[in-house]
Amino acid sequence: MTNSVSEEQGRLVVKLHGEVDLENAGDVRKTLLECVARKRDVLVDLSGVTYIDSSGIASLVEGLQTARKNGTGLSLVAVSVRAMRVLALARLDKVFQIHPDLATALQSGS
Amino acid sequence: MPPAYWGRANVFTRGTEREPMTTPLRSDPIETPEVGFLDHLEFLAQLSQSFVTSLDLEATLEQALRGIIRFLKVEAGTLFLLEEDGQALVCRASIGPVDIRGLRLKSDEGIVGRSVRRNSVEVVNDTRADANFLNRVDQQSGFITRSILCAPMAVGKERLGAIEVLNKIGGGPFDAHDMHLLRVMSSSAALAVSNARMAGALVEQERMRRELELAAEIQRSLLPPDGAGDSPIVGLNRPIGEVSGDFYDYFTLPDGRMPFALGDVSGKGLNAALLMAKTASLFRCLGKSVHDPATLLAYINREICETASRGMFVTMVAGTYEPMTGALRFANAGHLPPLLRRTDRSYATFPVEAPPLGIVGDASFENQETNLNGGEFYVFTDGLTEYRYGKTEELGVDGLIQMMEAHAGQSIIDRLRALLGELDQAGWKARDDLTVLAIDDTWAARVLADGPSRRGAAKPPEPLLALRFPARADRLRPVRAGVLAAAQMCGFDRTAAEDITLALCEACENIIVHAYKGRDDGDIELGVFRSDGGILLRLRDFAPPIDPARVRPRDLNDVRPGGLGTHFIRAIMDVAEYGRAPDGVGNLLQMTKRVS
Repeated sequence: MTNSVSEEQGRLVVKLHGEVDLENAGDVRKTLLECVARKRDVLVDLSGVTYIDSSGIASLVEGLQTARKNGTGLSLVAVSVRAMRVLALARLDKVFQIHPDLATALQSGS
Repeated sequence: MPPAYWGRANVFTRGTEREPMTTPLRSDPIETPEVGFLDHLEFLAQLSQSFVTSLDLEATLEQALRGIIRFLKVEAGTLFLLEEDGQALVCRASIGPVDIRGLRLKSDEGIVGRSVRRNSVEVVNDTRADANFLNRVDQQSGFITRSILCAPMAVGKERLGAIEVLNKIGGGPFDAHDMHLLRVMSSSAALAVSNARMAGALVEQERMRRELELAAEIQRSLLPPDGAGDSPIVGLNRPIGEVSGDFYDYFTLPDGRMPFALGDVSGKGLNAALLMAKTASLFRCLGKSVHDPATLLAYINREICETASRGMFVTMVAGTYEPMTGALRFANAGHLPPLLRRTDRSYATFPVEAPPLGIVGDASFENQETNLNGGEFYVFTDGLTEYRYGKTEELGVDGLIQMMEAHAGQSIIDRLRALLGELDQAGWKARDDLTVLAIDDTWAARVLADGPSRRGAAKPPEPLLALRFPARADRLRPVRAGVLAAAQMCGFDRTAAEDITLALCEACENIIVHAYKGRDDGDIELGVFRSDGGILLRLRDFAPPIDPARVRPRDLNDVRPGGLGTHFIRAIMDVAEYGRAPDGVGNLLQMTKRVS
């Protein structure tokens, strides 16, 4: 998988692709924490995620916690069915702010 | 030694502060300077008593000698014991002005030698007139021996030594009374020595018994514990003596197959036990790599032939059982034919022609194959069928079957225990080591599939996927693909199959992180089975045991990562059971889920 980072209207958009598991969750974590460290709101696009496990979810959680400490936001965008299923299993689907697509996310205040 | 005894008696008191036969406690009229008849009796009684209760022979002999010297009113006394080979007399106690303990005489030397040789009391009232008197002892010691009274110590025909007293105080001669007294006293001492030696032999016997017990303990540790744990194979071993010539063993291979063996070494006792230990070790060792029973027996046979002592041999059944399918393959080296109990309670047996192990070096063995189809398979030693009532009546295979059937419905190990309990109670006697190994083919269906409602009727789970892969995060992707497909084959929809895949991978990641702790040279083994109405996943590692209590789901209010994977497993699967692998190496996780 490859993680891409872009800027959209002052926000950092991280797009995750493919399978996120123990093998590459470390890269995801690093990318997310680097973005959060830039004190900008971060949007994580999960549309391309076909598999995510507890280690991937843990990286998202850590990013969210760090962002909150910084007083910035981290929200999820276009969450794939699979990723949504796993978030629900972890009962984190109400913890993250989740936007149906990038346009909606950019319109929202956070 | 009871205190009251010492309160009354002073005959063995060391030192000179008290006169013999007078103690503050005594108030009877015998308290006279003249030694009376009753005093003799009492002294002898006390002497005997002190020997009976003594634990330290040397000290007691010395005390006895001290008492004798005072009683007979002599200047000195010595006690000689014959060496075990009867060649020398050694002074073991010596009371008087000169201590000659340790002095060795030839067994026929001196007055003491003569007394022992003749087994008679010797009186020498003038040593200068006796040719046997050994002057050299006096010359060495400076003591002047004027007269000697010497009585032999003997018990029956066994000569033990002699007690010698020297120089009657006042210079008078020894009389018949003295002779008689010393003879009785020395007899009493002889008994004490003899008893002590027997006690020594008993101590030696006890030591041997302890060593045998230790051997038995080590031997028991070679066998799996009786009826151990939750396993389709159970066993039971009852040695008739301390150690057993029988053994049984079983373990689980990484692919779930279970090699097992039961053997009976000819003869009894330590030799048989040692050959048993050797055969059991060979099975444990070779059985891990040689999975074909006939080949395994041939290997073990060759090894035993090379080294076994003459005339000893081993009868043995070795086999491999597949809990998931009920398939059984075994080979028999001269052992009693095993029994198959089918689900309809009919029995089948498997006769054999092959020789026992340890006789013909190049013997070959044949595999027999069957499927247990939910039945039971028994291998046993003749100690079981040769249970005997009275002189001639033997239990036999038919008797065994009849008694087992009386307890049908109970587990195999309970049936076996009930049977042995009944035999013992009814006065049947075991004549040989007794060992049984039994396979319960309903185990897999019962434990691994859907629970009690389907017991007996369940089809054995069908293997769909068997994988062994390195415990590394970057090796999980193909595993996921396989499990996803297998789960869909079991009837799960896409989402449920993806969930099962997630649960399985979380379990693998737990193994990688927690069991192997980052080591990347470990392996994981996965078996995926289609069970009646669901899926069974068996995941096994080869890492040190982990405490399942520590692998628990996180508190979901706690958003920190960790424990989340285990939460996924619990949320997705119906059953997830952690345990140790049946052969004791590594951890086993079994997960099941039914199609909803």
